[in-house]
Amino acid sequence: MVSDQALLLVSALVFPGLLFLTALALFTQYLVRKLSARFQGRMGPSYVGPLGLLQPFFDLLKLLRAKEVVKSRYGMVVAAELSLLAGIAFLSASTLMLPLSPYNVRSSFDLFVFFYAASVVPALALALASLSMPGPYTSVGVSRFLSLLTISEPAYFISLLVPAYLATRGSGLLASISEAAVNSHALWRNPASAAASVLCLVASLVSIQARAMMQPFNIPDAEQEVIAGYKTELSGPLLALATLLHDMEYAVSLLAVIYVILGGPSPFANCSLMGAFSLVAKYLALVFTATFLKNSMGRYRIEQSLVQLFKYGLVPAIVAAVLAIAYSSL
Amino acid sequence: MTVKVLDPFTLVYIVTLAAAVALAAAATAYYALKSKRVRETPVYLSGEPEMVVSNVSPSVGSLYWGFMKRFAQRLYEALTEQVHSGSLHDWYRFLSSWLGFLLLAALAAGILALLIG
Repeated sequence: MVSDQALLLVSALVFPGLLFLTALALFTQYLVRKLSARFQGRMGPSYVGPLGLLQPFFDLLKLLRAKEVVKSRYGMVVAAELSLLAGIAFLSASTLMLPLSPYNVRSSFDLFVFFYAASVVPALALALASLSMPGPYTSVGVSRFLSLLTISEPAYFISLLVPAYLATRGSGLLASISEAAVNSHALWRNPASAAASVLCLVASLVSIQARAMMQPFNIPDAEQEVIAGYKTELSGPLLALATLLHDMEYAVSLLAVIYVILGGPSPFANCSLMGAFSLVAKYLALVFTATFLKNSMGRYRIEQSLVQLFKYGLVPAIVAAVLAIAYSSL
Repeated sequence: MTVKVLDPFTLVYIVTLAAAVALAAAATAYYALKSKRVRETPVYLSGEPEMVVSNVSPSVGSLYWGFMKRFAQRLYEALTEQVHSGSLHDWYRFLSSWLGFLLLAALAAGILALLIG
């Protein structure tokens, strides 16, 4: 019998924590690169590993092992490293609240804890790491990133909170991710709550696109305009950590959408083979949709980004919240 | 699979503990693997020397005004053309309209409270 402490350790470090999340983040990066390449009539990663699957892993290893850190006299390398590592650590820990974890912790309002660990801390970690290696382009990139966050974070949070609330009201664990994962598929069967779910899905996809700084919201690292924006002064191992943190945050955000809005492995049971297939299919569908958006749109200017994010991210989320209040008072 | 139903405070404690363990593991792996080479260069300014900028980072004030003038343009125009136009009459008109609205809202709330309570 495995003790609770050992299971907690394995969950935090191996599955679905640090190791699995690293693998999932790299696989997601591979998918986005490969799909983007196919959309643009290119080959994409092809030579490293079967079908080029290991390309992101070897890119990470090369940045870590072979490349040097290039810093100016104002750069604080250790502060940047610790910020990024803290972001990665909190993302790994946040997976304990997902039903995927063999050591699953849940409580009332655990969605709030999840949001801090998987969304607020990593975003601030990335901003702090960039500001630890200062430069004019970095500052402009970070200010644009933070401007986007002022709208994308509330939109993402509301889009998760609404289905979590609707799916868990009346149960003992209000706004719990694991509880919502069991019940949220039922929201899609009722026309009144399905409308709120659709709006939340749209709001979450738009806000994740902005949080991941993918087109059309890639203004924080707009090439040729602000060089590489927030990551201009990041290089070698630091750039490896920043890229890994970015990809991990993206993967965890999509997992949260699958569990809270799309009902996790439903219509199949959580720990079943078909349930696992269902999770993988939903994950691939979300990555495909996000990559399609990325490749079919150009880059917005910052003020356009904020307005569009407000229109298609925050407004649907707020309308869904109003619908949810009306629905739950019936 | 072990499921632990906890109170929110214990959940925060366990998640923070797991984050600390993950941080220790990630930091150990990172410092064991990372390249130790560090090269110092001037700040990247598209080939220009550092003397072309007065500060390495734009000031907080510049970022704030950039945001206000570009994204919150309508709010900025309202502030400069109606509220802070330089004329005391404009300022008084703007402020009294809001104070009048608040006074009416307070009166309505008071009457409602008397009627209901």
